[in-house]
Amino acid sequence: MSRQLSYAVGIVVAAIAGIVYTFAAGNEPLLGLDLQGGASVVLEPEPNPDGTTVSDDVLDQATEDTRKRAAGLGVREPEITRQGSTVLVQIPGVDDQARALELVGQTAELRFRPVLGTGPEGGSLAALASLCPLDDPENVPAEFLDSTPTPDAGADECLITLDSQEFNGVESTVAYLLGPAPLLVSGDGDARFTGVGVEDAAARFGGGWSVSLTMRGGSPGIDDFNSLAAQCVGRTGVCPTGRLGIEIDGQLESAPNVEIANFQRDQIQITGNFSEGEAKDLALVLRFGSLPVELTPQESRTVSSTLGEDALDAGIAAGIVGLVLVSIYLIAYYRMLGLVAIASLAISGALLWTMIAWLGESQGLALTLAGVTGLIVSVGVSVDSNVVYFEHLKEDVRGGRTVRSAVERAFPIAYSTIVKADVASLIAAVVLYFLTVGQVRGFALFLGLATVLDLIATYFFMGPAIRLMARSDAMTEKPGRFGIPKTEVAAS
Amino acid sequence: MNTLRRMYRGEQEFDFPKLWRPALIASLAIVLISVASLGFRGLNLGIEFEGGTSWEVTAPGQSVGDARDALDGTGAEAGKIQTVGGDSIRVRADLDDADEIAAVTAALAAFADVAENDVSVTTVGPSWGDQITEKARNALIWFFVIVAIYIAVRLEWKMAVGALVAVAHDILISVGVYSLFQFEVTPATVIAFLTIMGYSLYDTIVVYDKVREINGRLSGTGRYTYNEMMNLALNQVLMRSINTSITSMLPVASMLIVGSVFLGALTLQEFAIALLIGILVGSYSSIFVASAVVAFMKSREEANLAVQKKVKARGLDGGGTRSVAAEDVALGATPGRPTPRPTADRPRAGSAPPRPRKKKKR
Repeated sequence: MSRQLSYAVGIVVAAIAGIVYTFAAGNEPLLGLDLQGGASVVLEPEPNPDGTTVSDDVLDQATEDTRKRAAGLGVREPEITRQGSTVLVQIPGVDDQARALELVGQTAELRFRPVLGTGPEGGSLAALASLCPLDDPENVPAEFLDSTPTPDAGADECLITLDSQEFNGVESTVAYLLGPAPLLVSGDGDARFTGVGVEDAAARFGGGWSVSLTMRGGSPGIDDFNSLAAQCVGRTGVCPTGRLGIEIDGQLESAPNVEIANFQRDQIQITGNFSEGEAKDLALVLRFGSLPVELTPQESRTVSSTLGEDALDAGIAAGIVGLVLVSIYLIAYYRMLGLVAIASLAISGALLWTMIAWLGESQGLALTLAGVTGLIVSVGVSVDSNVVYFEHLKEDVRGGRTVRSAVERAFPIAYSTIVKADVASLIAAVVLYFLTVGQVRGFALFLGLATVLDLIATYFFMGPAIRLMARSDAMTEKPGRFGIPKTEVAAS
Repeated sequence: MNTLRRMYRGEQEFDFPKLWRPALIASLAIVLISVASLGFRGLNLGIEFEGGTSWEVTAPGQSVGDARDALDGTGAEAGKIQTVGGDSIRVRADLDDADEIAAVTAALAAFADVAENDVSVTTVGPSWGDQITEKARNALIWFFVIVAIYIAVRLEWKMAVGALVAVAHDILISVGVYSLFQFEVTPATVIAFLTIMGYSLYDTIVVYDKVREINGRLSGTGRYTYNEMMNLALNQVLMRSINTSITSMLPVASMLIVGSVFLGALTLQEFAIALLIGILVGSYSSIFVASAVVAFMKSREEANLAVQKKVKARGLDGGGTRSVAAEDVALGATPGRPTPRPTADRPRAGSAPPRPRKKKKR
């Protein structure tokens, strides 16, 4: 007896606690693009030049890179995730949707640029301007005067970038002026020092973490590197400071000192007080830069925000109308039992809301229109479980059992039916989730979640609540009030 | 009215096996029409499956002809243009090039007198569409396989066959409707179909569970044919099945109502239509298709054939019309007979009916 009560009370408390937590933490469901407007694109990597598919960690790096680029666009909360072998980019509410999509999908090129000089953030680099190939050598561009970053600079232009550094626990930002990527000696006059020349990079430990580079292409490749290294060591030519910057997408990844003029092919090492994580990151960046992954858009979608809002309103309205209709029917048909069914629905709804809001905040799980549809369908599924139990109850009473004993006996049997049938729903949800992408997947997740919560609410609330009700005389004296038709109900 | 009242009390006694034959003929006819439609007219696949680009813009009062004129020269004027929901224009064309797409977007924005950002554009590469189609097909196949195994394990394999026949029947009819009326098939449609399959199975399992319960109680007596037992089960479960259908249809009906009021919610409407058809057909198929198939297979089992012979020898029908004797149904009540007393939970597997007990007085 007390177990029933504790179950029922327990789950009600859990539901309320969930709602309170959700409000307190300010969790809100994350709306998908079709409900708030925005742009999304699915990017698929082209296979490598040698025909193999792009490896996982390279794709991760591409995802990371795209994320940085989107952040650079000033977009609020871009959602960039890797879905299997593709990258999904979602940009909510961007004004210039087409341009945003275009920028985001571009391929990033890694370049080796000699460091021409540094200065404090906002300070002037004008004095170094003469080292750069300028369109108009007489007029120093404004960016040099106050160190404005120029991430869009081409490989044949100087690039200004900001890098934050920590020195003795103090963080500061330094402005770097990076020269153009040097022309390759062995190249056809046009090729520049980009990441394509790198064959491999790996983090190594030997009295400190470092990154070792292997250049591609045998002796021409190493000759190129050595000619550049010689200039850096001698602080002449294109490399006046002796430092060689590694740049991707306008971001400076590393700027090591070059100390040896003549490297063997597999001897090039980049050192600089790296931690293990930093070394591995740099190695990954270099490997990634050596194989710029070309991402081609496969599916792009822009939804205007008015359309999105309309869809959201429609979804909410449909949900409310559906709940009202179902409630009316349940009360008309099952009377007091119907009320219990509605309460059970409210509880699983509260738990569902809590979960969706939490998943939205922490996992970035978005609620799309397909997801809303899944939730609406799940209302029908939840109520079905109640109906199964109630009808079994009515049958048993009609068959001569007392209401009290029918309530007890019918529950485990009905629950077993409910479980069997709900599992069919869950199988559908699981199969859909693992085998599909995008909208269909969202639908599957929400349907599955709602079905599981329904099973929980039925077991911990509906069953105990009705058993508790059955102990009261009101139920046994007036079964009609509970939707159990009076035929020849035996006196208890 | 009287029938309804009796149904509320669960006291109706329909003869389902007699209804199976006309029902199956009707079903077969509808399925054939669906298949024919699929063969000749095919499906209207959306761009997610075929590739291409689609634009949607709110342009109240504008006609398709005007839109086509406005798009002249962009490459999209030859595409499919339709009005949806009363005030939106939807254009679909096989354009891939970003510039061409942008040109159409600009033309549509000008035509509808809205900002370019208010035009919704969706582009799908052709190979991606193939991938989606393949994924959907895989999902369908795996679903069938896993569910078949599940039912075969939890209930029995003949029931799995019946369930799958019913689901296939439902899907063929639902897809046939889409083909007949040339509704657009989008991923939302795939969702709807999979929901229908899930629902149909749910309903079928509820029915089967009852059938197994009755079967367990009565087959020991050796006096009832499988058809008769199934008829009793179906009658007992009828209200449950009808109620679950109604409670499933109410939220879907609300999607349809709201979808037609909120003109921008076309997806809701299309989804709701597919689901409504599916739920209705799914309920019907649990009682008239799945059960019929199982009864057909089971009545050919040896044990059941023996019982049928016995029953025929006694000059009784052996179909569904004979009421099952009260004392054999531990907790069932048939009208006109005295209510059986509360009995023990375990079904009696022995051959003798339970002893009548004295009515207990408190």
